[in-house]
Amino acid sequence: MGLPDASEDLSSEMEVDAFRRLFPLRYFERHLSESIRPDARPLGRARDTTLALGAVASAHGSALAKIGSTTMLAAIKMEVMTPSTESPDEGSIAIDFHMPPICSPIVRPGRPAEAAPVISKQLSDTISRQVKSFLCYPFLLNSGMINLKELSLVSGKAAWMAYLDIYCLDADGALFDAALLSAVAAFSHLQIPIVSLNDDGKIELISEEDDGAKLEVEPVNKEKRKLTLSSIPFSLTCILHKNYILADPTAEEESIMETAVTVVLDSSSRLVSFYKPGGPVLAHTSAVQDCVALTRQRVKELQNILDETLSGMEID
Amino acid sequence: MAAQGGAAPSTYTPTPTKKTQRSPFFSDSDVDWLRPDGRGFHQCRPACGFTFNLLGCCDLIVFTYAGMFSLSLLSSCAFFSVLYSYMKGFFRTGAVNSAAGSAYAEFGNTKVIVSVFGPRESKKAMVYSDVGRLNCNVSYTTFANPARGLGSDNKEFSSMLHKALEGAIMLETFPKTTVDVFALVLESGGSDLPVVISCASLALADAGIMMYDLVAGVSVSCLGRNLIIDPILEEESFQDGSMMITCMPSRYEVTQLTITGEWSTAKLNEAMQLCLDACSKLDKIMRACLEEAASASQD
Repeated sequence: MGLPDASEDLSSEMEVDAFRRLFPLRYFERHLSESIRPDARPLGRARDTTLALGAVASAHGSALAKIGSTTMLAAIKMEVMTPSTESPDEGSIAIDFHMPPICSPIVRPGRPAEAAPVISKQLSDTISRQVKSFLCYPFLLNSGMINLKELSLVSGKAAWMAYLDIYCLDADGALFDAALLSAVAAFSHLQIPIVSLNDDGKIELISEEDDGAKLEVEPVNKEKRKLTLSSIPFSLTCILHKNYILADPTAEEESIMETAVTVVLDSSSRLVSFYKPGGPVLAHTSAVQDCVALTRQRVKELQNILDETLSGMEID
Repeated sequence: MAAQGGAAPSTYTPTPTKKTQRSPFFSDSDVDWLRPDGRGFHQCRPACGFTFNLLGCCDLIVFTYAGMFSLSLLSSCAFFSVLYSYMKGFFRTGAVNSAAGSAYAEFGNTKVIVSVFGPRESKKAMVYSDVGRLNCNVSYTTFANPARGLGSDNKEFSSMLHKALEGAIMLETFPKTTVDVFALVLESGGSDLPVVISCASLALADAGIMMYDLVAGVSVSCLGRNLIIDPILEEESFQDGSMMITCMPSRYEVTQLTITGEWSTAKLNEAMQLCLDACSKLDKIMRACLEEAASASQD
């Protein structure tokens, strides 16, 4: 069984499914040598991607992203907080990524998946990167997707805290890519409620109906219902295996070939972040460049999908 | 700042300026009252037509699961069969590819996904058992309720789901192994538990787990002198009593019956009949959903 040649001899006699299970690596390598993947994709192509906005009525902004079977549901709830003394006119964003037991056979209740906190951290770093001002490259400083100042309500007194929760509903590889896409789409869908400041210094909702009819209370954020998203980040995960680069891997591919590279570029193709968390394959600079080139193509696709989804929503 | 989970500043959800003085649902002359979604008192949320495209599916299954018109019970009650667009609901199997079986249900704003894994090895080192084990878990997302929650497991519902299903499953067909039924309530819109139970029995069927029959669940709220079937969240918060029945309609057997609050015997009988009628209608929809899935996979 363990002999590398055993698979060679058996491959002609065995059924395809049995071969796939017993010698998964050989099975994949055979495909790769023909420049095709078992799901009939060329190596550099990502799976079909769809977006739907407003899936959760109880949230202020929500989106459902699907890349192949990988499904992510992101929802934003806005709450009010007292801003810190260091930044009295800035709101905040709290990002949490969840992998409930429904999403994959390897997650069990009470034992959170190992990948979840890692992806949570990556998402926070990518989306609310502006906070980390010790990254002193000037272009990084102003490339944050969200200007936290837009989340301010009353300087020093009240600001929005945007809770972004992303649930993985189906885990089939490239989780970070799908999570980031759903997060970005949820922020584009976000509609901030109109609020006012009452005498006790508390923020209260103004209901949509009596807005305009009689304004006995002055709304504090009349002009700020939508966030301005500058330089939206998109990502692509690639698997490195020998000299092959596989874009947008499935869960099966990720489990067999372990070296993953995730590139995040913004809409003007600037590099936001680059993750290569170890792995047995060492990347040549050429492979790194190839990954970035693949991501650049993918960013265009994703930008189009997001734009189409947003314009589709405006028509409705 | 954002990434520091533990040190997050305390926040609150802004509440409406004027506490809208909500009139009590029923006064003495309460027959003119309309449900917030325009349904009749004895009308379930319809499972019909075009589906909200939550899971990127476009199968248009047309069912009408409305019209429980027992006019004799509430003679002067005006029934409005206006089906508002947001009141559409449906079942679909095969929502999660990585699970052995799964189902998605959407009734009004109640949105639920159930995944079934197994039969597989029991993770807990348990003693030998010649019947299979059923393991159930129900959890909520942080955004399921109007106020942001913690998204924790719901122990009570987990146990109720287990008890509602265990009588319907042929546990002896998978000895020594465990079947896991995990439910996630994406959004809570009232009558969550019956929807979870119905959806779970569909997911079990989708996974090919042997059952005596599908389990359909329906709840009824008692508000004053009136019975309201399939209550939404707002109605549940005003109820005087509630009843939930989960049953196997083809065998006419009840797997679970819970009653809370104040009931008279006459009301109980009436409510039970309403629930059982609705269950058998729900069962037809669930079966049609399975048939649809089976014929789609044959093509």
